[in-house]
Parts: sequence; structure tokens; C-alpha cells
Amino acid sequence: MIKQSIIENVIEAALSTGGDFAEVFVEDRYANTLALQDNKIEKSISGRDFGIGIRIFSGLQNVYTYTTDFSEEGLVKAAKKAALAIKDGGNGTIHPLQKEIIQPIHTISQLPQTVKHAQRAAVMKKANDIARNYDERIRQVGLRYIDEEQNVLIANSEGKFVEDTRVHSRLAIQATASDGVELQTGFYGPGAHAGFEFIENLDLDHYAGEAARIAVTMLEADECPSGKFPVIIDNEFGGVIFHEACGHGLEATSVAKNNSVFANRIGEKVAPDIVTYIDDGTLPNEWGSLNIDDEGEKTRKNILIEDGILKGYLIDKFNARRMNAEATGSSRRESYRFNLTSRMTNTYIAPGKSKPEDIIASTENGIYAKYMGGGSVNPATGDYNFAVSEAYLVKNGKIDRPVRGATLIGNGAKTLQLVDMVGNNLAHGAGMCGSISGSLPVNVGQPMIRVSEITVGGTKGE
Amino acid sequence: MMTIHEFQEKLLSEAVNANFKEAEIFYKKTESFQCMIFEGEIDTYETSEEGGLGFRGLYNGKMGYAYTEKIEEASIPFLIESAIANADVLDEDDGSDIFEGNDSYNGHGFYSEELANVPTSEKIELIKSIEKKVLAYDPRIVTVNYCVLQEFNEDRIMANNKGLSLNERKNGILIFVSAVVKEGDEMKTGMVFEMTRDYKSLDADRIAEEVAEEALSNLGEKSIPTKKYPVIMRHDAAASLLATFTAIFSAENTQKDQSLLKGKVGTEIASSVFTLIDDPFHPESIMGSNFDGEGVATKKQTIVSNGKLQTLLHNRKTAKKDGVETTGHAHKKSYKGTLSVAPINLYIAPGAKSKQELVESVEEGVLITDLAGLHSGASTISGDFSVAATGFYIKDGKVASPVKQMTIAGNYYDYMKNIVETASDLEFAPGGYGSPSLLVKELSVTVD
Repeated sequence: MIKQSIIENVIEAALSTGGDFAEVFVEDRYANTLALQDNKIEKSISGRDFGIGIRIFSGLQNVYTYTTDFSEEGLVKAAKKAALAIKDGGNGTIHPLQKEIIQPIHTISQLPQTVKHAQRAAVMKKANDIARNYDERIRQVGLRYIDEEQNVLIANSEGKFVEDTRVHSRLAIQATASDGVELQTGFYGPGAHAGFEFIENLDLDHYAGEAARIAVTMLEADECPSGKFPVIIDNEFGGVIFHEACGHGLEATSVAKNNSVFANRIGEKVAPDIVTYIDDGTLPNEWGSLNIDDEGEKTRKNILIEDGILKGYLIDKFNARRMNAEATGSSRRESYRFNLTSRMTNTYIAPGKSKPEDIIASTENGIYAKYMGGGSVNPATGDYNFAVSEAYLVKNGKIDRPVRGATLIGNGAKTLQLVDMVGNNLAHGAGMCGSISGSLPVNVGQPMIRVSEITVGGTKGE
Repeated sequence: MMTIHEFQEKLLSEAVNANFKEAEIFYKKTESFQCMIFEGEIDTYETSEEGGLGFRGLYNGKMGYAYTEKIEEASIPFLIESAIANADVLDEDDGSDIFEGNDSYNGHGFYSEELANVPTSEKIELIKSIEKKVLAYDPRIVTVNYCVLQEFNEDRIMANNKGLSLNERKNGILIFVSAVVKEGDEMKTGMVFEMTRDYKSLDADRIAEEVAEEALSNLGEKSIPTKKYPVIMRHDAAASLLATFTAIFSAENTQKDQSLLKGKVGTEIASSVFTLIDDPFHPESIMGSNFDGEGVATKKQTIVSNGKLQTLLHNRKTAKKDGVETTGHAHKKSYKGTLSVAPINLYIAPGAKSKQELVESVEEGVLITDLAGLHSGASTISGDFSVAATGFYIKDGKVASPVKQMTIAGNYYDYMKNIVETASDLEFAPGGYGSPSLLVKELSVTVD
């Protein structure tokens, strides 16, 4: 993408004021977005991002600059300007660049740039028809098709020089149902670190059908009661609760500065024995997977909590300095526009022994969250919130009426202690995660779990 | 490298050769500086210079879009071929066209030379001093977990082959500070955003005090019964809820059955104290523009007047469909986007009473100061929201204590009808949404 000799000159310029580490990240990304609404493909845009990020460390100083000026002169100038921000630098050493060839663990068979829009449009129309034909109350179907090919080159003063191609494809389906008075929606958004082969093989009957079914079900739903309930959270995207409640608190982004309830607690019991929590960027072709992270380190399986004991954090090179620890292949960024930090990839609760039907049967009066919406967390306090997009009351061990407007709130560290059943049906769901290094594809996953008590906010009152 | 001017000329002429009947470019160049302070030192220091170009053109009656950040000759065929493919896949000629421009534009300035001339070192000292002052404010403040200063400087160019040629320069500075406070086992945070073009208004003592007081005020939380309460939405919480539901005012959404305001122009949709204005030139907001994403001259407009919906927000395409004039709300987030509809500086008009007077008028209720989870807990289609909230219990006209984590739930369409009073404290939140504090008849409040 950019000649090795230019990269060498940029690294040299970056360390000209005594920084001890310099890194160059080159990104060339092709992306397509198509949108369907009113039965028509109504928006389509494609384009190319191209930019370079340069990072310099000196001890605990972290200087970052990025530019879309790809000329050698422009890049060297940007590096020199950034280097001026380094105070009291020492003498950085530059190791000669060693080209590293990675063995991709996520194979891609149909790159987006080889796919015609007509192929994308055909899938979208099929999904649209399935959702519309599900029920006559489906009033509108909106689809977004997104794919991208991101080529990266990562080189640093330690001699690293590595290139990789990441491919993402996603189909997001939103169905709107109406009974003439109200409007309710259902959403499903499968995605993968894969090319068109993933979209072509999607079970559209399932995904589009589910989006429509959720919208219609919510039209028929009662208002959700408020109060403290045992909550059963189903598998797959249900894992978003631990992504927020616990995952963000295990990122070095907050741990390194002691801004997390999980800081300095390695080896402590933070959850019941039945909870094992893992982040694994190597799962083949999963939405949050990568061959290498954005520092060029191979992704790996990081065990964060094992049988309830806190085992590790997700750490990037810079925070590793503050924490006096090793980086964990977890350094990510949305694009060259963002400085790096530690982020999740595919994070999940490992499967337990309970059968889903037994979990429901053993719950007397509670809430069953079949599909979760998104949520957020304040990492400093651990206070989280989530929307439940499809919820039901559970009465006497049976799933009862659907309810809408359920929001779960609580504190991550406390909720984690209250997990009392873990199912055996692990599955993963695709989502986008926002944090200081931008918006990234991540998987959240879990088997069905039960938490003995969560505060449920609803419109109905107690 | 080609200059942007050379690139633009060549692209527009090549587009015509490739059978685009109309063609337009949108170019944006941004320079930025950001610095984060931690424990008295610069934690991260970031600078950037970036530019990108969006192209759109009418090809066989359909609008094709493409963009690139690589301004070089080889990008021209890429843009043209991509835009043709993107036009071809569209299902119909939707009536889009490219605008030749208005006769005149408001020449409002969005750039401060004074701000641009403040040396970087002075800004770093300012943000460092804020952190220091927050930490010194009270022993219960344990850390400042975010202490960030951001400055941007952006140039925008729009030009097309129908004679339009517009440009605008904008700058601004943003400060974001968040403090963590601890007392016993209780840990709380408080944060402040400031966005301005007036550097002199950034007073370190005042900002530090606001952050510290905001965080400290959240200590000593108590639980209150879960039920429906009268609610005062503080100006910032009210503005973030307005920002979330702004999509309901878009004609693009009413035309697609995605907003319940369809067919409601001219009718009462809110209480008589609710007046909603979009002012692209409001002096209190750093957002704004003299032209919209289609090059249409912008103007101050009343969207809702004393509860009555005056107009929806339109771009040229939605206006044509509804048989009205565009309101100048074509929105292009960046050169990477297609056109949509959005307001510029949308705000709820202030009333006469102070926030304090609103509090005094409430026998028992809740004052909400922050909302979280709006991206997931609110549906702009149904109007339903159920979101996490931070706030205080009001008893006998006085703020009694902070409340444990809460959710508030309701429906925005009902909420607009249930606004009893608007206070005088209008403020703009980053993003161009403003509100005074509002007294709302009741909302469902669930307490952890």
C-alpha cells in the first residue's frame, strides 16, 4: 500500500525527538452500503477510505496523528510534527523491518469487490419478501446491507511489518408492524468476518422471519411491570448484558487507570463457580474475529474469568506499560482516525450444564428476555442498562404473556454474582460496540442464563 | 498530488462525458487537535489532517453516489464507475435532482480567528488546570477519569455542474471532563461537556466547580418507591431526549410510515407551552450552516408553535413528494453519506420561570439530570422509551436527595402533550440540540 522505504523514513521521523516506540498504520478500505425500504432499493453508496495513523510513545506519553495525505513528504512532515509533542525523550532504537507473512485463520471466498450490486439486491429483496409475507400487519421492512474490505499495513520500530485483509459482511433487517394505531419493530442483524458467501448462505427465512415475528409479537404485548425479578436471558445476543456489565470493565482502557471495579483483583472470586468468561478473536469467520489485532499481534483466546475467578484483562501495548503486563492481542480501532486501545472481539460465557427448558421450569415468577437490544455501562461505577426487545413474563415455570418496554438496570459486578443457572446452548450474536477507539464489530455470546434478581424498568408500574 | 480544485474540475467534466446529466461534489477537510490529561501529565496527544470527497450524479434519471479519501487522478474512474453501479441498482427514479443554488445566502460566520490564534500550549495549560482544580475541590474526588480538550477546524466545499459553488469554514473547541467520587462504598461520576467558539468563555474555575459539584451531588443516594411521578427533565437530559426523537419530525420518516406525525401538520401534537424552533444561526450553538446538504439556503423556522405542528423537516426530494417547499434540511453527515433529513440547531423555546421555580412547584417528584441507553431503549418509530436515568427526589418543592439508579419510561408523543412548563434555562448540547428544563406531568419511574 505504501513502500517499505517510505515507512522506514516515517518511523525515523517519528522517533527524531527521542520517542522510544513508533508505529505506522496504513488503511485502505472499500465499503458498500445499500438500503431497501418501501420494497425498493433506495440508497446505495460505495467508496474508499485511505489514511495513515502514526503513533509515538515515550514512556507513558502517547502521541497520535493521522492524515489522508499519503505523499512521502506529507507523511514525514506529519510524523515530525507529532514528534515535537514528545517531552524529555530518550534514545529510541529502530530495528530493521522484518516482513511477516500471516496465515489467515478466517478464509474469505468472495471478496466484496468481486460481487455485483444485483447479487446484493437479490438477497435484500428476498429477505424483504419473507418479512412482509410473515404477517399482514407488517407495514414496513427496512434492510441495510453493508460489506467492506479493509486492507491494513502495520509497521513499528520493533521491526514489525505485517499486512492483512479483513472482510466484513452484514445484513440488518428491521420490520415494522402496525395495528393501525401503534407501530412496533423487530430487528435481526447477522454479520460475519466473511465475504458474500456468508450472505448467500444465510437462512433468510429464519432471520427475516424472526424480525417480523418480534414486531408482531410486540404489537400484541402488554406493558412490562416494574420491579425486581429473576431474569432469564436467552442465548446468542443475550450475551450483550455481560459485554456491558463486565466486558468493558475488563478492558485495559479502564483497568490501567484503576477506573474499573475489576482493577487489581486478579485471582479474586468475582462470580459464581458456574461462570467462565472468554474473549476469543480466533473463532473462524465470526463477526468480531481477526487474524491480527491493530498492533499486528495475533489474536488469541483470552480467559477473563474461569470458574468465577478473575484471570485476566484485555490489554494493548500502551496500557501494558502502565499495567506492567503483556499485551493480549486485543488492540483495536475503528479506522486510522482512532488511536488504539484494548477492546473485545468475540466475548462469551462458556456453556454450563443446565438445559434451557429446566431453567424456565424452575422459575416461578420472572422475566424471560428472548432478544436483547443494546445497552451501555458507566465503566467507573459498573452501572449498566439494557433494553429488552422481546420479553415475556414467566409464571409458575412457564412462559406467559409477551411484554414490551422492559429495561434492565443494575451494577455489573453485583449482577455477575447473581448468576445462578448457566445453560448448555452457547451461541454468538453480532453487534457493534462503541468506545474511545470507535465503533467496532464484536460478537457477544452466551448460553441461556438466569440471574436471580435484576431491576426491571417498565411502564406498567409495580 | 492534484489540488482539490483540479480534481473537482476534472471529475465533473469526466462525469458529463460518462453520461451523468447532473453532477456534484462535496468536499470536507478537517484539522483537529485533541489532548487528554491524566494525573497532571499529557496522557494522549493527537493531531490530524484529513480530507475526503463525495460525488453524486444523475445517471439515467437515478442518483448515484461514491466517495474517496484518495485525492489522485486514479480515483476519478473509480468514483464514476462506482456511482454508475450505485445508480443502476436503485429501483426507481425517485425525483432526486441537483440544485442550482439560491440567489442569496445568509453570510453568518462560523469561524473564530481568535480561537484559531490561541496557542496549543495555552489550551494544554487550560485543560491541565481544570484537572488540578477538580482534584483539589473535595477529598471525595478520587480521580478525573476523562479530561479531554478537542479542537477542530473544518472547510466544506460544494460545487456542481448547474452553477452551484459554495464553501464554509467552521471551528470550535470542546471540553469533556468526568470525575469519580467515592464515599464509603458508594462510587459516582459526574461529567460536563462544553462546546464553544468563544475561547474566553472557558473558565477553568467554573468548569472544575461544575464537574465536581455534578459528581458530588450524586453521593448519598436513596431509594424511593417505584411509581409514576411528576418529572423535571433538566435542560441537558431534555435535549438528549429531543435529539433521540428528532427523527419523528422528518418527512422522510412520515413518508415511509416510520413516524406517527404523518398527516399531522396543522394539528395539535404537543402541549401549548411546547414551541420547537430550528435556528441554523443560533449564537449559543457552535453547530450551524448557511446552506444545507443540497446547497439550499438555510433559515430560522418554527417547527411546532404552541403545540401545533407547523411543518415537517424536508429536503428537496421529500418536499416534492409532499407538494411543499423544501425547508432546507437536507442532511449530509459527511462526504461518505447519502442525503437524508435532519435539523441544524433544533431547540425547545424557553419559558419565563427558572428551574428553581419549577422545582418549587412540585410537591413530590423526580428531577432527571442524565439519561443513558437512549440508543437502545428508545424507539423513534413507536415513540416508546424506557431508559436508565440519574437524578434526584423532589419533596415539598425542594431537591431532597439523589436517587439510586432509575429507569424512566413513557412515550415521546405523550410526553410532548404532557409538558406542563418550560423553564428559562435554554442550553445547547453538543450536536446542535437545545432545551430548557421541562416539567412533565408524569412518567413511570423504576428504582433499583
